[in-house]
Amino acid sequence: MFRIIKKSLKIGVVTGRYQKADRAAVPVPTEAKDKTRPFKRSLAIREVDTGSCNACEMEMNALLNPVYDAERFGIHIAASPRHADALVVTGPVTVNMERALKDVHRQTPDPKIVIALGDCAINCGLFKGSYAVTGPVDRHIPVDVRIAGCPPRPAEILEALSELRGNG
Amino acid sequence: MTKTEFSDDLLTTAFPGILKNHPICTQSSHFVVPKDLVPAITHYIHTQPSLRGRLTLLWACDYRPVRETYGLYYLFTLERSHHWVVLSTETAGTDRLFPSITPHLHAAQWYEREIRDMFGLIPQGHPDLRRLVRHEHWRKGTHPLRKDFSWDATLGRQQGEHHFRHIEGEGVFEVPVGPIHAGIIESGHFRFSVAGEPIMQLELRHFWKHRGVEKLFEQQLLIEAVPLAERVSGDTTVGHALTYCQAVEALLHLEVPRRAKYLRALFLELERLYNHLGDIGAMCNDTAYALAHAHCGRMKEQIMQLNDRFTGSRFLRGVIQVGGVTRDIENTQLTKIVEELNQIQQDFSEVEAIILGNASLTDRLETTGILNEQTAWDHAVIGIVGRASGMNYDLRRDRPFAAYDELPVNVALYRYGDARARLRVRGDEIHESIRLIREMRDKIPGGPIADQPSSSPNPGDWTLAAVEGWRGEILYMVMAGEDGRIHRCKVRDPSFVNWPAIQWAVLGNIIPDFPLINKSFNLSYAGNDL
Repeated sequence: MFRIIKKSLKIGVVTGRYQKADRAAVPVPTEAKDKTRPFKRSLAIREVDTGSCNACEMEMNALLNPVYDAERFGIHIAASPRHADALVVTGPVTVNMERALKDVHRQTPDPKIVIALGDCAINCGLFKGSYAVTGPVDRHIPVDVRIAGCPPRPAEILEALSELRGNG
Repeated sequence: MTKTEFSDDLLTTAFPGILKNHPICTQSSHFVVPKDLVPAITHYIHTQPSLRGRLTLLWACDYRPVRETYGLYYLFTLERSHHWVVLSTETAGTDRLFPSITPHLHAAQWYEREIRDMFGLIPQGHPDLRRLVRHEHWRKGTHPLRKDFSWDATLGRQQGEHHFRHIEGEGVFEVPVGPIHAGIIESGHFRFSVAGEPIMQLELRHFWKHRGVEKLFEQQLLIEAVPLAERVSGDTTVGHALTYCQAVEALLHLEVPRRAKYLRALFLELERLYNHLGDIGAMCNDTAYALAHAHCGRMKEQIMQLNDRFTGSRFLRGVIQVGGVTRDIENTQLTKIVEELNQIQQDFSEVEAIILGNASLTDRLETTGILNEQTAWDHAVIGIVGRASGMNYDLRRDRPFAAYDELPVNVALYRYGDARARLRVRGDEIHESIRLIREMRDKIPGGPIADQPSSSPNPGDWTLAAVEGWRGEILYMVMAGEDGRIHRCKVRDPSFVNWPAIQWAVLGNIIPDFPLINKSFNLSYAGNDL
């Protein structure tokens, strides 16, 4: 017990100990900002992996660690698309995931926004043209926000999400 | 008599019909065998007490249109000497059958199904010929790794449904999970059959994320495909890039400078560190111990930021190149890294004491998801999962690569095979990695960090390379094609071997423990699906 308290006191607060991202690097369209207005200051995200290399997933996971702590901005991860305001899609859309992506999009209640995370989701990256890849995310569902990078740093994702909600 | 001669003699005496060929790399033997003898020879290598060969890789290669044949290759690692035995055989282009070895060698199961999907060759006698990589909506006759299949073809769709194995009876029901599931996790499907709480059967349905990686390699030049290797599985960026580079360097007869070898080992250990720290935290999170998760997440972030500071990439992307490394870490920087890691080790030791001293956490971890030694051996399980089940393999010690010939590794080994053993292996390896990095700082020589490739390989030359990544052994088979291109590149992430074993580890456990067991394995979906 004392060991735990001692440790917590020793470490202190680590939130915010990261290099802030440059805002100019992540332009968020005004239409997307308008679309998120109904969600006010909170955003429930459902993450969908349609064929990424899992680096983007790791950076999304990093958002929830004490250093970035995205929850302090009202960003949280929903377990089901039916509870989500936003879909974050990573990876090029593979032949096998195409139907699952469309299903998830259909099951997410309106109003909703779609965020394509990482180069693969935006333009298929290195996997462009492959027989097993059907195209970038916006070929299958409408995309509102694009966050580029391979993978984008957590600070960049956080910056884009903050800006999206007009409080960045 | 050396160990090599001993095992070779055993084989040639037992099977006079086989032909010894030139070894493809050091510490290996290569035999050409007739196709119908394959089941007998593989059975012999696997079961003969003085050999005890573990099936390490099984791959096929399309030689058409040059020769009207397909090649089939079986790689075994001998238990005691860690010597490689490669068996190769050929099947004529029109003859699409080959004898299956799965009936007596369980570990071959997914490999043979994969070959059937990718090449259209049929493993005769295989007990389970359902599709693996090709989901049922792919048209019949689609075999992407055949040379007459275009890499950018558009696949048609057909109707089809996957048939899961069913258990029937009163009170038995099925729980489908995925491909999209709760949490931020990759895509895969799990089908549980349960009666009450305990799991009676788990069946995996993977390959949702199949991106055609092996076919994409064939479109690339040998020396330019490193970025693709880095993206096979993002969390193993260094592991995959390093294995690929080692294979290419062997083909180009390129000698990597000593300093570069040390730096490669450094990057590999940094990758191991941040992943192990993340995994320990995630396992604690799945037992609802959020405090330990927060501490581990913080330390993992610290190492990823360190990576970013010294190499410009949190995942160490772009640091490994064919012939060496792209970035030098100066000795003063190396001292700074060691100082920071020393502080992290102290920090982690305190957190580890809290984790291991927590009775409720121990209660959740102990006896959860036991993978016993026999099942692990039958599935040829490797890496951290294997070392928690008594499989004493670590390539850093057994077949040293990079600078590990000068850096002896103490291998963490546990026998109980439960979630706690897997956590303990990771904990021990964190301390060992930091110790190794300290040793590197003391031993690292000066000099250049890369060598330029000068020669080009002969078309048809091939080689194997293996690296102990943080999950386990990563294997690449690279065969050179015309004009410095790649004819065939077989990628094997340890996840491909360990995934089937999870189906056995969960038996008798309750579904709420599955996330914990899955996390204790922490296998890559991307590296498995390719």
